[in-house]
Amino acid sequence: MGSYAVLYREMLLFKYKLMRLGYVFYSVSTPILYLLAFGLGFGSRVQIPDYGAFLIQGIVCMSSMTNSFNMVSVSVGMGRLHSGEFQTVLTSPVSAPSVMGGLVLSGIIRGLFASSMILLAGFFVFHVIPFTALGLFALVLNTAFFSAAGVIIGVVIDDMENHAVLTNFIIMPMAFFSGTFYPVDFLPHWLQKVVWLLPLSHANKLIRVGELNSTTITSFILLSGLTLICFIAGTLMLDRYTE
Amino acid sequence: MLLEVMNVRKTYGKVVAVDDVSFNIGKGEIFGLLGENGAGKTTTIKMLSTLARPDSGRILLNGKDVQKYRRDTRRRIAVVSQDMNLGYELSVFEVLYIYALLRGIRNSRKLIDDTIAKLGMTEKRNAKVGTLSGGQKRRVMVARAMLSGAELIFMDEPTIGLDPAVRREMWEMIRQMQADGRSILLTTHYTDEAEYLCGRVAIMERGRIVSMDTPQSLIDCAGAFAVDINSRTLLFRDCASADEYIAKESLTGQKVRQTKLDDVLVSSIGRAV
Repeated sequence: MGSYAVLYREMLLFKYKLMRLGYVFYSVSTPILYLLAFGLGFGSRVQIPDYGAFLIQGIVCMSSMTNSFNMVSVSVGMGRLHSGEFQTVLTSPVSAPSVMGGLVLSGIIRGLFASSMILLAGFFVFHVIPFTALGLFALVLNTAFFSAAGVIIGVVIDDMENHAVLTNFIIMPMAFFSGTFYPVDFLPHWLQKVVWLLPLSHANKLIRVGELNSTTITSFILLSGLTLICFIAGTLMLDRYTE
Repeated sequence: MLLEVMNVRKTYGKVVAVDDVSFNIGKGEIFGLLGENGAGKTTTIKMLSTLARPDSGRILLNGKDVQKYRRDTRRRIAVVSQDMNLGYELSVFEVLYIYALLRGIRNSRKLIDDTIAKLGMTEKRNAKVGTLSGGQKRRVMVARAMLSGAELIFMDEPTIGLDPAVRREMWEMIRQMQADGRSILLTTHYTDEAEYLCGRVAIMERGRIVSMDTPQSLIDCAGAFAVDINSRTLLFRDCASADEYIAKESLTGQKVRQTKLDDVLVSSIGRAV
C-alpha cells in the first residue's frame, strides 16, 4: 500500500502534466526532432545498415533515460527543497523500500511513456518498431536505473541549480556519447573505454543486439547490477534521511 | 507521559539550533513552544517527527526512542508543517486520499468526505489546492492531521499569515482535535494563541527553553501587573507595588493593567518579538 500511495501521487501529478501540452512538447519534441533531423538528413549517407532502426533504438533509449531521471529527481528535489511535500511522505509510516519502489515505478512509467511516443513517431517515419523482447526488457531496466539514480540525486542536491548542472554535465554528455546517434566504435579508442563505464551505452547495446549472447551478457549483468546498487543506495538514503 | 524530550541538542555546523531542551507532553495536552524566528522551534519539531537526528539527548514517544522506532513513531504522529506542502495541482480530495494511503487507511473515501464536511469544505472537495485561499489551505492541512488518527500532532505555526477570523476558526479546530483525545505540540509567535489554547507553554530563546509553565503561572511568576512606559513594560507582583512605582516616578497618564503572556515573552527574551 505504501508503494501504491507514492506511485498514485506521482501518477496523478503526471496525469495533470500530460493534460498541459507544454509537458508533452518538452518531453518528446526534442527527441522527435533528433529523429527527424538525423534520420532524414543523414539516413542514406551514414555507413550503418538500417540507420532508421538504429536511430529509433538510440533515441528511445536516450528519452527513457532523460524522462525517468528528470521526472523523478525533480519531483523528489522540488518536493524536498521547495514545497516540502516530500517530507509528508518521509514522516508517514511508509517504509523506505516502499517509497523507493513507488518512485522508481513512477519513473519507469514516465520513461516508457516518452519512449512509446518516440517509437510511434519512428514507426510513422521509418515504418519499423525495432525492439525484441530483450530490447524492451533492457529499456525497462534502463528506466529503472535512471529512476533510482533520480531518487538519489533528488535526495542529495541542496539546490535545484545543482540539478541543472548535473543534467548538463552528466546526463547530456551521456546521451551524446553512449551510442545514441552512431556506434560507440566510431569514437577514439580511449573515449570508448570511458563510454564503457556509462550505463546508457550498455542499455543501447542490449536494445540493439536484442538477444543475450557473449557480447551482451556483460552489459546485461552490469546494467542489472547498477540498477540494484542504485535501488539499495536510494533506499538507504531515504531510510537515513535527515535535515 | 506521551512524549518525553530529554536534554536534546542539535547543531548545524557551528550553529547551535537546539541546546539542552527538555520537556514532556501528556495525553490530551496542548503544549506550546513560543519564541521568535530562529529560536529553535522548527528544528525541535523536525527532531520530534524523525526528520532530524539530535546530536545528543533522547526523545521518547510512549517510552520508545523515536529514532530507534521510527516507523512506529511515524504511525503515531502527524505534522502540520509551516510550509503549505499540499501539491498545488491536486484537488482537496486527492490530497487527503493520498495522505490516507500513506497512513495505510483503507476504504478512506467516506472518512475523507466526513472530514471535509467537518471542516466546512464540502463545496471545495474537488477544487485544486492552488485555487484555495491561505485559510482554506491551512484547513486542508489540519484535515490531514485529523484524518491521520495520530495520537500526537505537531503544528508548526499553523496560523501564520492568516487573518484574525480564520485564526480563530483554526483555534476551534485545534480544540476539537484535543477534545478527540489528541495531544498537540504547537509552535507559535502569537501569545494570545498560546494563552487561549495551551495548557503549558515553553518559551524558547536561541535554542534553549528559558521558562516553562502554564500561561497563568508564567504571568504570575513574572508579575501579574504591568505598567507601560513608552516602549518598555515593567512587571509587578502586586497592584500596590505598581501604583507605588507610578507615584514614586511621578508618571502621569500611566495605568496599571493585567500582565499578558506577550509581556512575559518580551521580558523572558529581553526584546520584543
